[in-house]
Amino acid sequence: MATDTAAPQIDVAPPRGWRTWFTQENIITTIVGLIVAVAVIVPLVALVINSFLVLDDLGFDTEWGLQNYRDIFHGHVIRKALVNTAIISTGCTILATLLGVSLAWINARTNCPFREQLEPFNLIPFFLSPFVGAIAWHNLASPKVGLINNMAKTAFGIDFPLFNVNNLWGVIWVTGIFFAPLVYLFVVGSLRRMDPSLEDSARTTGAGLFRTTMTITLPLVTPAILSGAIIVFVTTAGEFGVPFKLSAPFGWETLTTQIFTKAVGDDANHYLGAAMSMVVGVVTAFFIWIQHRIIAPRSYTTVTGKGFRPNLIDLGRWRWLAFAYNLSYVCVAVFLPIICLFFVSLHKIWSGRIIWSELTFWNYQKVLFFWWPESIQAATNGIINSFILAFGGASIAMVVAIIVSYMIHRTKGFGARLLDFLSVIPIGFPGIVLAMGVLVTYIRTPIYATLWILLLGYITRFFPYGQRNISSIMMAVSEELDQSSRMAGASWLTTLRRITIPLLKPGIFAGWILLFVIFLRELSISIILYSAGTETLSVGVYYLSNFENEPMTSALSIAQTVALLICIVIFRKVAGKEALTA
Amino acid sequence: MSFVEISKLVKSFGPEVAVAGVDLSVEQGEFVTLLGPSGCGKTTTLRCIAGLEHPDSGDIQIEGDYVTSVTNEIFLTPEERNLGMVFQSYAVWPHMTVFDNVAYGLRIRRETRAAIKEKTTKALDLVGLGHLAERYATKLSGGQRQRVALARAIVYNPKVVLFDEPLSNLDAKLREHMRIELTRLQHDVGITSIYVTHDQTEALVMSDRVVVMDKGVIQQIGDPESIYAEPTNAFVANFIGVANLMEGKLLGHDGELTDLEIPLGDGSAPIRLKATGAEGAPVGAKIILSIRPEDILLHLEKPAEAMNLFEGEVIDTVYLGNFLDCQVRVGPHEVGVQIDHFEELDTGQKVYLSFTPDHGLCLTE
Repeated sequence: MATDTAAPQIDVAPPRGWRTWFTQENIITTIVGLIVAVAVIVPLVALVINSFLVLDDLGFDTEWGLQNYRDIFHGHVIRKALVNTAIISTGCTILATLLGVSLAWINARTNCPFREQLEPFNLIPFFLSPFVGAIAWHNLASPKVGLINNMAKTAFGIDFPLFNVNNLWGVIWVTGIFFAPLVYLFVVGSLRRMDPSLEDSARTTGAGLFRTTMTITLPLVTPAILSGAIIVFVTTAGEFGVPFKLSAPFGWETLTTQIFTKAVGDDANHYLGAAMSMVVGVVTAFFIWIQHRIIAPRSYTTVTGKGFRPNLIDLGRWRWLAFAYNLSYVCVAVFLPIICLFFVSLHKIWSGRIIWSELTFWNYQKVLFFWWPESIQAATNGIINSFILAFGGASIAMVVAIIVSYMIHRTKGFGARLLDFLSVIPIGFPGIVLAMGVLVTYIRTPIYATLWILLLGYITRFFPYGQRNISSIMMAVSEELDQSSRMAGASWLTTLRRITIPLLKPGIFAGWILLFVIFLRELSISIILYSAGTETLSVGVYYLSNFENEPMTSALSIAQTVALLICIVIFRKVAGKEALTA
Repeated sequence: MSFVEISKLVKSFGPEVAVAGVDLSVEQGEFVTLLGPSGCGKTTTLRCIAGLEHPDSGDIQIEGDYVTSVTNEIFLTPEERNLGMVFQSYAVWPHMTVFDNVAYGLRIRRETRAAIKEKTTKALDLVGLGHLAERYATKLSGGQRQRVALARAIVYNPKVVLFDEPLSNLDAKLREHMRIELTRLQHDVGITSIYVTHDQTEALVMSDRVVVMDKGVIQQIGDPESIYAEPTNAFVANFIGVANLMEGKLLGHDGELTDLEIPLGDGSAPIRLKATGAEGAPVGAKIILSIRPEDILLHLEKPAEAMNLFEGEVIDTVYLGNFLDCQVRVGPHEVGVQIDHFEELDTGQKVYLSFTPDHGLCLTE
């Protein structure tokens, strides 16, 4: 449309004075943004720098060089650890994906009996400590003290050990069953929320059940499967507890157990440890980058916002087989390990057999009664410290998460994009890698050897988990709800307090409990950053396993597991069934 | 025997009865619409025809063969019925190109490569998407997805095409456009269609016959004109278009016409009117008088002679561009009147209303 009238003259406003920048919103978000940036970036930069410092033969001076990396790729021990890490991660990813996808399909899409009762149990391993799982499976299936092996011997006279988990297969087995819920969560969400008419239209077009599943359903959940598989691969590559317990003592070292050896102990070499962390970190960060940039954007938005009843497939008689399969998973991942640990914890000495006449709660006194002079300090310290860290860490991390989510979703510009990026980075680096960075950064500061360094490590590594919880709600809540409050005359802080945070409440609480659980069982950061007096629960378990005996280890493991199980019940009450599904 | 024959169809979800005994026949090449408010059972009926729901009882026959028969324990799976279906959410597969989406049904039917190419291209041209064949479905607009879904449903020449509110996710302009296009296409291809909608305009414009449903039961079946002009009960009268409904008493029959009175309460004398309908009803029966707003005449002065004259008081007028929508209080009733001549009307003003007997329809419950 042409018009003859000239464009009206617009008075260009003079540039606003710098004073107008100082609003509540700008000050608070900038401070938090800067803290997050420093907390995330500095340890990684320190890690890079330290990895190029080479310790001389006397162990006093350092010089710049690539010798650390040469040691990794040429040194026999470390190269073998690298290969082992690759084998374990690959094996675990395959196992966890097969388990996760099949269980998700059974639960979301079939008429498998009792699936609603089984579903919460499928998720329990997600909340428990894989390290404790490894301890349990050590006591179930190691050649000498394995309960299953000894039962087989007694019952059927089998002379040789039936199972042996003290090798790479054992590590793959335990990590596989413990990380299967990661894949499960990705896939079950995708399967449940898929618009059923996508499949219905294949059926009306003439495709049978099998063909529909293969050509429509599976391709549509493939991005979810790949995402889950990558997360599992990365998590396994950074997993410390399981290989440390099961395979490292028998000569199967991994990069994480090697990093641990280089971070603590007599031949500690932080620089070599930093270089090894770099190798792990580069690989995991690369995979997470692929997941974020390539796979996640390709996941099909098959949701149209309506409440769907997903199509259920009638398995006929096979449904009992599906039920048996799911039940077996729950048994090997949840029931067997916990029951075994419980029995082990009731003995003074564990010989691989239950001796009914000698059961005692003695070990629980030793590890739980912190007021008792004969209790074991490392364990009782661990309990107290872990609860302090979990409570404080979850609370601070959620505050950070809320402000970071706010900046990402409610502000524009460089700060928002930077924080979006910064809150993905910690996910790309396993706890042990980030902890190495934190260690080399703060080792010469006063916070070293205090709980503060652990707190810093925990929050830096895990605040993105809380942030995701908040972000998903914040995206669903209209920005106009905030803006109406400002229009009504409320300040930014008042709006945050009276409108934004109340709307986010369910997400905040769910995120808080999730972080509480993660911190309560945390091992791979703690193991690098703890020192005498600042042990955590999992470090206590590690200590008992290394310097005391299996029954005492099991007692503390059971205590930790019970605490975690209580959290799961609360989590489900608060967050509802669908809270975790990706 | 009709082309599609549904008899005594019942389907409940738990305690909730969605379809409560539906009988319906559809002729070959016919375009039949199931119309009703949400929850009336229209979609469930359609999904039973598709084989996506197992009915609790009843039979469905297509071309004389049972596809569902609860008594005979026959149930053909959806893929065995050779139907086409267009879903409300389009359900275009996002992991395939437009071509692959449309060709899917042909590939399942093991057509030759050349035939697949030819038929798919023809179907895409028919819906005007020939130039987008290689594009992924995620890159399409809502209207384009709708066309893909349509091409996909008709490409293998199914016996019946089922439409489940296919236009309800489109914006008003596009909906109108697609409505015209769908009607044209249906006429060109001549395929038997069963169409579900809650939009009365869609139903009236597109269909050969309209089936009005409510609470799982068919309320009326008829061509669009008769559904609009001769609703058989108050639900249909009110659901199709706008109708003024007033409760009254039947006084007697006078040839073609029906005498009735509408009580006004408050000690006022009831108004006596002549209308049509309610032929079988006995004297004294409770009836509902239905008059469309556009059929009522509004007078500022009392006319010398007019049938069915009664007075009222203007409550409100709304200017709607080509006409004026006027609410008039008549005793306890608010009567909507549509007038196209622009009188100056003040709130509270006394006016006179009248209508010819053939525009007043008496309905029994």
